[in-house]
Formats: sequence, structure tokens, C-alpha cells
Amino acid sequence: MKKIAIFTVALALCGGALYAAFALNSAQEEAAPTLAAQEAKDPLVCFESRKGASEVEQREIKPGLPNVKCSPTTGAALWYGDPFDGTVPMGKMPGLEKLPEGHAVVKPRSEKLAILPMCGTACHNGVGPSANPPALPKDKRPTAIPVMESLVPDLKDLQHGRGRIWCLDCHHTTKRDKLVDHFGDPISFDQPQLLCGKCHGDKLRDWRDGIHGKRIGEFASDGKKRWFTCTECHNPHNVQDGERNRGFIQLQPEPPPQLPNGMKDARHELVHPVAH
Amino acid sequence: MTPAQPPSLDSSQTQPSCSATPASANPAQCGSCAPKTSRRDFLKAGGMLSLSSLMGTGALMTHSDDAHAAAEWGEHFQKNYRLMTEQEKIEARDRLQRRYSAEYGKPVSVDITGAQPGVLMGYALNIRKCIGCRRCVHACVAENNQSRGTRPGEKIEWIQVLRMERGKFEAEKMDHGYPEGLGIQVGGNAYTPAGQVLEGQFHYNPEAVPEKDATYMPIACMQCEKPPCVKVCPVRTTYREGDGPVVIDYNWCIGCRMCMGACPYWARRINVTTPVLPKAEMNPVTHYLGNRPRMRGVVEKCHWCLQRTRHGRYPACVEVCPVGARKFGNLLDPESEVSKVLERKNVFRLKADLNTFPKFFYFYD
Ligand code: SF4
Ligand code: SF4
Ligand code: SF4
Repeated sequence: MKKIAIFTVALALCGGALYAAFALNSAQEEAAPTLAAQEAKDPLVCFESRKGASEVEQREIKPGLPNVKCSPTTGAALWYGDPFDGTVPMGKMPGLEKLPEGHAVVKPRSEKLAILPMCGTACHNGVGPSANPPALPKDKRPTAIPVMESLVPDLKDLQHGRGRIWCLDCHHTTKRDKLVDHFGDPISFDQPQLLCGKCHGDKLRDWRDGIHGKRIGEFASDGKKRWFTCTECHNPHNVQDGERNRGFIQLQPEPPPQLPNGMKDARHELVHPVAH
Repeated sequence: MTPAQPPSLDSSQTQPSCSATPASANPAQCGSCAPKTSRRDFLKAGGMLSLSSLMGTGALMTHSDDAHAAAEWGEHFQKNYRLMTEQEKIEARDRLQRRYSAEYGKPVSVDITGAQPGVLMGYALNIRKCIGCRRCVHACVAENNQSRGTRPGEKIEWIQVLRMERGKFEAEKMDHGYPEGLGIQVGGNAYTPAGQVLEGQFHYNPEAVPEKDATYMPIACMQCEKPPCVKVCPVRTTYREGDGPVVIDYNWCIGCRMCMGACPYWARRINVTTPVLPKAEMNPVTHYLGNRPRMRGVVEKCHWCLQRTRHGRYPACVEVCPVGARKFGNLLDPESEVSKVLERKNVFRLKADLNTFPKFFYFYD
């Protein structure tokens, strides 16, 4: 060990003069700050979990430190400088009472749902066109309403519940800008977990304990965390995702790693199989 | 645990709040086991007389205001990080901060916060949920200042996402194989690649993931409790920190790659070239044993984002996983995410038969 150290130091001493000269050059190159150039461009917005759910706009929180870094390939959020950007307190959630006040925050979903403010007034103001309370189809089959289907295309082929649930099992009958719980009381769109847990109790329990779904921020069990709510990751109208039958939608992957030197493509082993 | 304040960029001269009192496994804290004659004293006594030394000193004196040269000079005299006193760590920290700040044109902080009492870090990954999107891979690169050039050896990633084929067993192959006719010894379905990883299968690049015929298994450093990489390091520059992660003092790494051969999980990478790290992309919040910029010829690997986790923050890869497959926490806290996973889920360690005792667990629902 000592020997190696001595050699290293001896080399370094000889090179000292050279080092100093090089260092001078490289120090002078530094001047141009690269972030200034970036600012001139349009604001960069990247999606967080899946496309169509929560998004975040890139800005600088400190000189040289952005709040988020976005993937140039897919547009996904790849790195969080500020995990609590744009969040609000989660609100009451049974089972999380132990958490210190303000340590559970969420990104409000309602801001992202563009037609939500209309839902409560324009068409569904709680007063049916011909009857009050509104007349609902007896067979509880979703009725094709062209306006709805053009606003929310996923409704044409509802991929949730395999025909055993319909709109008003989740949406409030008269307050259409709200979801509904087992007692018929409204639930905010920012707290979908209270709705989804009605059926998916095991998932709700795992989510509450932090082992289903995702949290960012401080890892300590009582730390401040931003909780991702159900609908930030799952599209409730399309959870079966067609034939694939998985809860999470398909995404474009980030680019693959560098191939080993000399290998032309990733199928090398398949094209040149190992002999038995 | 109460997380310490994250290091602020402009407080380069203030000392992080909890750099002392690490857990017991850290020999750096054993004041009496440092050798009596330090490398520095030895060199002062003998080396100063040599001609080369005079040349070097001359160079240093003429350009003493140059951060880079001064830092290089100081770095050659510093001890193995584990053997440094608190004061020496602070000196090394300040030296690096000056050099990196000049080099990358922005204030760079180098943290030296030690292991926090009562914390043993652990990691769990839900292998059923992973969709193979590789966001974790790229988050790690954005956080940890890896080389990101395009020429051979210049692109370094610490996480590898392995693609496992689901494979299909076929009735037609049942009565075939070899030797045929004499009682088959190798069945016809033998080469069905179910769940098998072939070389090159982490280079997959389809339009969309997850693919119907594949599952994915990300691997990185497992932070073994009995790390073979530590056992083989001839200069003992890689070691296990008191709170769990296995780290590297890059300054003492001689690039012999013994650890790369010893690691059963392909976790370690070497900088064969001078790392390519554009100034704009450089993450200025660094830790001495973590993501500070590396030099050519040293080995690096995942260190569970020490610069974040020592201050209570989740690792970068945990925060970007779109399906929430990655869980990180304190194994000593029964309420932490990892403890809950160990308590409730079906869990396994990769290559458990090797007795490396990873603190990285795979689980499934
Ligand atoms: S996974 Fe490899 S590099 Fe990491 S601690 Fe274990 S042996 Fe060492
Ligand atoms: S914990 Fe940090 S260093 Fe390790 S793989 Fe994840 S991002 Fe990279
Ligand atoms: S980010 Fe998550 S889902 Fe994507 S490859 Fe990594 S572990 Fe798998």
C-alpha cells in the first residue's frame, strides 16, 4: 500500500508543473453560463407517471438547479429537485391520522381535469331535464350520450369492472363534479383513494402503508411525502388496458444502454446462440 | 428519525449538522486505530528533499490561486477517507468544493455527513409491477453525475433493467430432443427461454413497455451486508458505511477492478475514459462518498444516493418509478415501507445462495 502511495505521489510531484498549466486553461473556459440559454426557450412541461395525468413545468429553484428534469426522449419527469412543487394537504384519510399535520400532500387532480368545472353546472346541475330526481335507466347500463363520449373518449368502451359497474357507481348522481362513497356522500376528485378503496380494499391498505403506489419526498415513515393518488397512475376508465390486462398503461421506454464495444445489435446472443 | 437539513448550495463553508456520531461499524471513528505515522508526515520527512518534489512545489507556489491546481495538489496528500480526522474531512471537502465549483461554473457543495444514528437503509423492489421503462436508470444518471458521452466506455449507468422472456412450452416438442429414439435425455422444451436472461437482453428497445411476452428485473448494487467487493479491494477504498451502503473513496481507488470481478451482481462500473459530464447537466448537490464527479480510472456504483438519503430524502430512482415499484426506508423502523414489505409480502434476495446478504429485496404481490 505504502509503495503504491509513494509512486503516486512521486508521479504527481513530477507532473505538478504540467498540472498547474492545464488547470489554468480549463478554469478560463468556464465563463459562459449554459442555463441562461435554456431560459429563452418555451417552458418545458413533462408528464409525471403516465401521459394525460399530472404534469410539471420546469423552472429553476436555485441557480443551476431545476425543480424537475425531463426526458428528452419520452417527455417523462426523470428527476425531482423539489418533490413538493404544486402540492396541497391530502385532506382526511382514515388510517393516516398518525402522520404529523401537513406531512401528507398531494397534487390536486381537479386542476388537471379541464371539463370538471362544467360538469357540476352546464349539463348536470342536479336537476334532471324532465324529472327531479333525474330518471336513471333501470338496468344500470351506461347509455351512449354523444356529448359525453366526445368529451371523454374512453367512455365508448369502458374497460373497468367487466360490465359489472356503471357510471354512477363512482360518480355522484346529482353532483357530477364529485365522486361518490358508499353512503351516497360526495368525494372530491382530489381524493380518489376514498372511492377506489370501496372495492380495492387490499390495494388501499397497501397504498396507505406505502407499499403500493408511490410517494416522493422524505423516506422516514413520519416524513413529509407527496402521495400519488390512484388516478395519477391509473386511468379509471381504462384500467384493464385491453388484452394486456394490466393496471398500468403501456409507455415508451427510455433509451437503452450503450452496447458492449464491438456488438452490433442487442440480438447478438439470439442470433449466435450458445451451443449445447 | 429527524432528517438533517439538506446541504444548501451557498453554505459551502458551514459544516453539516451531523457529521459525527456514526454507527459503530465505521472504523473512521476509531481514533486510536489510525497509524501513528501518517502518509503526510512520512512524505514531509523524506519526499521533500527530492528534486521532483521541488519542481512540484515550485509549480504550486507560482499558481497558488488556481483552485484546480491547489486541489489536485492537496488531494495527493490526503488520507483514505475512513482514516481522516473530522478536520481533514472538512479540508478535503472545501478543497473539492473549490475545484468543482471552478470546473463546472456553479456553486457545488460536497457533503460529508456521516451515518445517522438508528438508521439502517434497506431497499425493496416489486418485481411484478416493474414495466421496464428505464426511468430509474436515467434518474440515477441525472442525480449521480455519471459519464454520459457517446464513444465506447463513455456512457455509464448503474442500474441495468433485465428483460426476461416469458417463454412458451409447446406440445409438439414433447417427444423430441436428443438423443432421439434412445430415451430422451434433453427434452425438446429445454431451450425455451422462460424467465431466462441472455446477454444483450437489457438492450431491448420496443415502442412501448411492458411487452406482452416479457417481465423485467432491474439490478444495481445490492449493498450486501457481507460484500465480496469490500473483501477483495487491495487498497481498502471501498467499504461498508455504518448505515448500510457500501461506498468508495474515489481518491484512493487505483482502478484495479478486483471489486468488479468479485461482485456477483454486475453492479460496478469503471471510468475507462475521462468522464463526460456537461456543466449544465451536472448535479451540484454532492456527497464525498456519493455522487461527486469522478475521475478517469476509478470504479463507481450505486450508493443509495447518500447525498439525499443522509438528509432523509428518497433516492432518485425511487422518486421517478412511474409504477411505484421501488421502496426505500429504514430497516430498523417497523413502520417504514421496507419493513412493511418484509413483514407482509413474499420477498427474496437475488443469489441468496452466495451468502452476500443483500439489503436489496425483491418482492411481489
Ligand atoms: S452488490 Fe456488488 S458492489 Fe454492491 S455491495 Fe454487493 S458485492 Fe459490493
Ligand atoms: S439509489 Fe441512487 S445511486 Fe442507487 S441506483 Fe438508485 S438513483 Fe442510482
Ligand atoms: S422506473 Fe420502475 S418500472 Fe421503470 S424500469 Fe425502473 S423499476 Fe421498472
